[in-house]
Amino acid sequence: MIYRAPPADALLVEPLDAFTAIYHRPSGQTHLLVEPAPEILEALGPDGLSLAALRAALAERYDLTGADDLAERLDELVAAGLVSAT
Amino acid sequence: MSDADRPDDQPHVPATTTRRRALMIGAGAGAAVLSIRPALAQTAGSVLACEIPVPDPGRAGSFIAPDGSTVPAGTQGAFAPPGRAFKGEEVKRALAGSQLPGTSMESNRAYVNYIRRLQRGQGGFTCFASLQMPRA
Repeated sequence: MIYRAPPADALLVEPLDAFTAIYHRPSGQTHLLVEPAPEILEALGPDGLSLAALRAALAERYDLTGADDLAERLDELVAAGLVSAT
Repeated sequence: MSDADRPDDQPHVPATTTRRRALMIGAGAGAAVLSIRPALAQTAGSVLACEIPVPDPGRAGSFIAPDGSTVPAGTQGAFAPPGRAFKGEEVKRALAGSQLPGTSMESNRAYVNYIRRLQRGQGGFTCFASLQMPRA
C-alpha cells in the first residue's frame, strides 16, 4: 500500500504555533493538525511512500518517540481526506 | 566550556543529534487531525429545520397579497396568514415547484412570492438565504 499526500498546490498550509492549519482546496475543508501529522504529509509527498518507507524517512529526519502508532496516524489522515492510500 | 573540560558524567552529545528534533508518533495526545466542517456543510443540516414565518412577526396578522406584499387583514383578494411558519425544507420544495403544505394553488403562489421578496432583517430571511446556497 502506497500513501500519498495531495500535490502542494492543493493545500494551503499555515503553521499556527502548536497547530498547523491546512486548507484542502479540492474538498474545501480545513484541518488542524498536530505533530506528527504535518511531518507525515511532508515526508509522503505526492509520490507517496509505503508505511515502512515512511517510518524510515521520518527516522532519518527525526528522533521518533512514543509508541509506534504510525499506521493509526496514517489512517487518521486518510479518513480526513488528506492522504490517499492505493 | 570546551569538550576537554566537560565532566565525565555528562554525556557527550554529537552535534548531529542535537539538531534532530524529537517527533512523537504515538497517540499520546490523542488524534492528530481535527477536521473543521465547512460552514456550508453545517447549514445543510440546519436548512431542514429553520423556519420562515409568513408574514414575519413584525407584521403578524397581515394578509398576503398575490404578489407577495403584506396588506391589512381582510383585504379582498389577499390571503390570510398560513397560521404556522414554513420549514426550510418545505420552502425549498416549493421554490422547486411543489406546493407549501396546507395551501391552495393561489395562496401557495402568494406565500412563495412573499418569501422571495424577503429582505435582510426580516424574519426568515437568513433561512431563505441559506436555501439559495448551492450546496444547501
